[in-house]
Amino acid sequence: MSHALLHRPAWYVIGPLIGLVVVAAFALINERVGVVGGISDVVERATGRRPVLGWKAWFVFGIAGGAIVFRLLAGGATARTGHGFSWLTRELTGGGGQVIAGGVLLGAGVLIGFGAKKAAGCTSGNGLGGCSAGSPASLVATGTFMAVAIAVSFLIRAVT
Amino acid sequence: MTRVRVASALLGAGFGFLLSWAHFVDPDQIRRMLLLQEPYMWEMFATAVAVGFVAIRLMRRARVRSLLTGEPIAWSVARPERRHVVGATIFGIGWAVSDVCPGPLVALVGQGILWTLPLLVGVALGVALYVRREEGPAPARVPRERPGVRGVAGPLPASNPD
Repeated sequence: MSHALLHRPAWYVIGPLIGLVVVAAFALINERVGVVGGISDVVERATGRRPVLGWKAWFVFGIAGGAIVFRLLAGGATARTGHGFSWLTRELTGGGGQVIAGGVLLGAGVLIGFGAKKAAGCTSGNGLGGCSAGSPASLVATGTFMAVAIAVSFLIRAVT
Repeated sequence: MTRVRVASALLGAGFGFLLSWAHFVDPDQIRRMLLLQEPYMWEMFATAVAVGFVAIRLMRRARVRSLLTGEPIAWSVARPERRHVVGATIFGIGWAVSDVCPGPLVALVGQGILWTLPLLVGVALGVALYVRREEGPAPARVPRERPGVRGVAGPLPASNPD
């Protein structure tokens, strides 16, 4: 069981399974999946803007729970742990470097949270849910963030 | 409402499990995707959208009703506005720097990866900054939603897909 889970399945297996989550969200609660909306629910509840948590917050709690179950069944994480986490934590080594890496990740998080709220969705809300719904706004947003992320990734590779 | 919450949590659990299994949570895999070094993530994303696109239209055509809400399956779409492009550009920069987007971020928190903590704090700050900028300071007190009354708490339009 754990061996099978630590190896990623073929794209034509996992892709349709993820698509079925989008379908099940409509079939069960008639809603479009989204993650930043759930994080926003939690933030707004914590700051007193919301009296109760919306369904998206529970969806987000479920994602964390599903990942915990996965790790328990797989016996390990599917991302690197420690300083080998990403290109950023490997490039910025040493005590000071790791602090800077944490600061850069914090800044990147601010861009992700602010940008996704402004664009009314992230890779899940616009990319999966919005594109499945055929929303022109989601198609434009998804094309934009994909293109920008590709361009910035090549830029980062060129300067590192 | 409780049934909707439980269903939402179970849907999320399935999503988090699949994101973890697909290694969608691995920043190195996202980097290879964005550097166009391997097609796996693109193929997975495209097939997920294709399945969703076709299946929800088939359900709508068959006039299927949502199991828990009883509503006919339907959705609204939005026209592109400047904010979608500006927001997606800002989001894309953050995604490329971190190689983690919000769904995988939450799953990574669940997997216990400590490097995600500054990222998670950053996303919460970014969301709070946006909400405060758009809506002003938080009210002193928000009345609690009454059971069975839907949409009282929603500060965003129902068509907002985030």
